[in-house]
Amino acid sequence: MTVSIELIPGRCEGHGVCEAIAPEVFQVDDDGMVHLLPGGDHEDATALAAARSCPVAALRATS
Amino acid sequence: MRRVVVVGGSIAAVTAASWLRVRGFDGTITLLSAEKEQPYTRVPLSKTVLSGEATDASTALPPLDDSVVVRLGTRAVSLDTTARRVNVDNGDPVPYDGLVIATGGRARRLSPPGMSGERVLRTLADCVALREDLTRARTVLVVGAGLLGMEIASTCRTLGLEVTVVDREPPLRRVLGPVLAEVVTDAARKHGVSLRTVPGGVRLVGSRTLEGVDADGELLTADVVVSAVGDVPAVDWLTGSGLCLDRGVVTDSRGRVADHIVAAGDAAVVRGSGRRPHWTNAVEQARVAADALLGEDTSGASLPSYFWTNQFGVEVKVAGEPAGLGEPDQAEAAAGSMLLRWSGGAAATVNHTMPVRKLRQLASAP
Ligand SMILES: Cc1cc2nc3c(=O)[nH]c(=O)nc-3n(C[C@H](O)[C@H](O)[C@H](O)COP(=O)(O)OP(=O)(O)OC[C@H]3O[C@@H](n4cnc5c(N)ncnc54)[C@H](O)[C@@H]3O)c2cc1C
Ligand code: SF4
Repeated sequence: MTVSIELIPGRCEGHGVCEAIAPEVFQVDDDGMVHLLPGGDHEDATALAAARSCPVAALRATS
Repeated sequence: MRRVVVVGGSIAAVTAASWLRVRGFDGTITLLSAEKEQPYTRVPLSKTVLSGEATDASTALPPLDDSVVVRLGTRAVSLDTTARRVNVDNGDPVPYDGLVIATGGRARRLSPPGMSGERVLRTLADCVALREDLTRARTVLVVGAGLLGMEIASTCRTLGLEVTVVDREPPLRRVLGPVLAEVVTDAARKHGVSLRTVPGGVRLVGSRTLEGVDADGELLTADVVVSAVGDVPAVDWLTGSGLCLDRGVVTDSRGRVADHIVAAGDAAVVRGSGRRPHWTNAVEQARVAADALLGEDTSGASLPSYFWTNQFGVEVKVAGEPAGLGEPDQAEAAAGSMLLRWSGGAAATVNHTMPVRKLRQLASAP
């Protein structure tokens, strides 16, 4: 089973909660929006904890 | 420690459970949530979900993995710290070796028990009920001009309703401080909200149903009355447990309450620094508390707290606590946007794009 984390278009408000937990996977750029970094491990427990921490539920984990 | 029980079903509870796994805890984790929905975020409930722009389902958080047992519709009713058991309303006592208290808060109400008609907004069910009422309303009275009350007022204006907000203090002062509060209040006035300051406070009038609000002798009425007068930490179930309660459950800086017991989020009051009922704080406290339960100390490295609000076309992001700091000592303004800094350890943006990481660093910079 492979898990992949996706950003739901139009929802991110740049609160950076995900980035604070898993900076290897999420990065908020100067445009104030989150970007999923290439090569990040989406199955890692830390990345999934981060995906669950978004206050506007902008991150989805699909398998 | 083989069995951890997490009491609560929202962000502090979910983060604590997730974080125990991140740290390699491989015993059982059982999450007890009084709500019937899977964990969701409350943040959009006063904003896009109340307006109908976003669906109820869009609030769902990504699910916990299968290794965590989630018991929905299960309310903790009392705690036995000697036998190490949580008593619940729908089954046998739940034994634990480690306990996380994450029961958050519930909306404070002004009406006496038995009076109907006062709306509040804390849960998804509250939001659905209020939204339904708003479809039949023309006028709305919001009691409480804090972040929540003003967000509700903003959403009601976008729905075309006539909105009055009453509070005993000027809007948002206590949480944002005078300068930021004025920026947002100005936007609210321009959006046509009627703002009333009633120094003596208000009283709900009615017997079985709410008839209106007594504001220093004047009766205010509206099709819908919604109170946003703060939340009460949901720690009633801990009465008699022997744990130290002082509005919430009292913790040290690592979230520790007693042996094998930690707490995080809106239910927690940190000795010496108090309660911070915001999302980011719930996430950060839950991580530190989960670590403490596993015997690790990760409380040192934290940045200033962070919260935000969106209302009347104004997006405010705040690092640190500017409320007690008066005038900012540095301000940059461009068309419609601002960056403010207080040397006492706070910074804020208004409609200004900047990564929150940088904002928090700016707040803590000397
Ligand atoms: C409408 C609204 C908008 C908000 N907007 C923002 C915002 O823009 N920015 C921001 O920073 N913060 C915002 N907040 C605050 C933020 O949502 C809270 O700080 C956060 O939800 C706290 O999380 P928590 O897990 O500690 O508690 P809660 O979210 O209160 O969750 C507590 C959980 O425990 C459960 N529970 C309670 N008692 C029991 C029991 N006895 N047994 C079992 N389960 C129990 C509850 O059912 C609930 O699931 C908003 C809050 C609301 C209500
Ligand atoms: S936590 Fe959510 S809103 Fe914040 S940066 Fe990450 S995806 Fe965006």
